[in-house]
Amino acid sequence: MERRSFLKGFGAVAACAIALPHVASAAEEKKSAGPNEMNYETAVAAITGGKALVASDKVKMEAPEIAENGAVVPVKVTVESPMTSKDHVKAIHVLASKNGNVRCANIYLTPANGEAFFGTRVKLGGTQDVVAIAEMSDGTFLTAKQNVKVTIGGCG
Amino acid sequence: MKTLIKIKPKDYKAGDIVKIDFMAMHPMETGMRKNKDTGALIPAEYIDEVKFLFNDTLITKMVIWESLSVNPLMSISFKVPGAGALKVIAKDNKGQSVESTTQITPKG
Repeated sequence: MERRSFLKGFGAVAACAIALPHVASAAEEKKSAGPNEMNYETAVAAITGGKALVASDKVKMEAPEIAENGAVVPVKVTVESPMTSKDHVKAIHVLASKNGNVRCANIYLTPANGEAFFGTRVKLGGTQDVVAIAEMSDGTFLTAKQNVKVTIGGCG
Repeated sequence: MKTLIKIKPKDYKAGDIVKIDFMAMHPMETGMRKNKDTGALIPAEYIDEVKFLFNDTLITKMVIWESLSVNPLMSISFKVPGAGALKVIAKDNKGQSVESTTQITPKG
């Protein structure tokens, strides 16, 4: 690694560490996770109503494998679908499996979208799976996930 | 709450699928963070609902939580049916609400 790029990278990490010291201490002191705390199993059950989740290639999840800063992690979800009134994606749910409140966003789509896509930026408290669940118009639930290694947590 | 709507790409025709980027300036407080000086918890404050409407017909509704980053970005696809008004209504958990409108003007 070149000295210049190494120093740049190191500087960025150091700056984050200084800027966010309260993040780590808050997480240690307090186990409770805020007003909307919900774990992964409960959240998934609330979405699917007990139906099976099917891992599928039709759901494409784009998220970085390593996120230096957990406060801003780009996530993009695309679901293969013709998006006609008969066959479309009704909803895309994005979950961060180990955040205090795992729910990030529920996106309710319509055929007017033309394409089942949702992009955003999420906060991740630590290394974990980011999960996308697509609710299809035929009542099935397709899913895909991506593990994201977080160097500095962005929660709290 | 300041907001921004971007249509990508800039030039599009009726029938094209474009991306709508919606950004809102919002702290997205989780309710878990503490005030550094007083040690008191900062109350949760986050956008919890965003609606996208085209000519007053709902195209996408989002229910979101505090896990979205500060100044959140939400991006969706939209198949342009023709000219019209795209309205985005965002509401946070404290009842603050903002409405922004942009014109959809297909070329050719």
